[in-house]
Amino acid sequence: MTWLLIFAMGAVVFLNRYAFLEPRLPLRLSSNARQFLGFAVPGMLTAICGPIIFLPGHQLDLSPLNPYLLGALVAVALVLLTRSVLLSMLASMLIFFLLRSWLA
Amino acid sequence: MLPYLAKCAAAIMSSSPPIARQAFLHGAIAILPLSLAVAPWGLLAGSMAIEANLSAWQGQGLSAIVFAGAAQLVAIGMLKGGANLLSILLTTLLLTSQHLLYGLSMRPVLSNQPLRWRLGLGFLLTDEFFALTSHYDQQQFNRWYALGIGLTFYVAWNLFTLAGIVLGQNIPHLDQLGLDFSIVATFVALIAPLVRNLATVVCVAVSLFCSVLFSYWHWETALVAAGLLGMAAGFVCQKFTGGRP
Repeated sequence: MTWLLIFAMGAVVFLNRYAFLEPRLPLRLSSNARQFLGFAVPGMLTAICGPIIFLPGHQLDLSPLNPYLLGALVAVALVLLTRSVLLSMLASMLIFFLLRSWLA
Repeated sequence: MLPYLAKCAAAIMSSSPPIARQAFLHGAIAILPLSLAVAPWGLLAGSMAIEANLSAWQGQGLSAIVFAGAAQLVAIGMLKGGANLLSILLTTLLLTSQHLLYGLSMRPVLSNQPLRWRLGLGFLLTDEFFALTSHYDQQQFNRWYALGIGLTFYVAWNLFTLAGIVLGQNIPHLDQLGLDFSIVATFVALIAPLVRNLATVVCVAVSLFCSVLFSYWHWETALVAAGLLGMAAGFVCQKFTGGRP
């Protein structure tokens, strides 16, 4: 049962990923469609982060002392100041875990 | 799966022309920071599988076959809660539907590749892969570079899952450590430098607000609906201001 689920999930995810890579699919992208898709990285990655930051443990947390929110703000500031993705990721994770232990 | 991949990588290194090998290595190096940053998330995926009474092989199988962090974690949670096969599959379909968008966006560079490249790079098409390869056009796109990115990330994800399985068998409650923040740290570092004009600010703001609201309402399509609305808002704003993306 579990193995069946794992393989079926694999098939579902792969189909999502592969569907539009198939050349026999009759589809041409207009310039408007391309412009729209140009927003896919900021739009989708932000949507993935939103609930992790504001709904930790599935509970709404809009407090300014929410460690996820503070950690995210630190990450924004660091990457804009240093332009280093690696440094800002590592530093913001460190700060997040410190904040979490203080504020919890 | 892993020894097979190591063999593949070795074969790539020895049999391919030097330019391809170099592009592969450049891709592998480009994804290295993100591969390290995915460690906490991979640990979580491995340890949660053990906590939900999956066998070590099943936990590893999820990462090796499904290779989609968020979907794996949600499926494990549902399995623990006694959900049936069909509802887990439907949730997986909705949760990972942003990949349809990534595929659509990569279509100009990937759909004219030979079948085995389409299948291989299609399997490796993750959020991180997309973030690093989506800005190349047909002239600049190098499939070996993309393979270096995808394969390195795949190996890292599976190694960290393995570490999570081993740790999860020994340390309980790894899921309460806030390991999911690593996704926020990674994605924020990828998004923030892209926010250079009003249209992108609008896109990010709408997407953030909607993702929280829809998740609060327990929509299963929350993420992709919020992402699409954010993209639409950015697109409309760009049309009005006439700015460049």
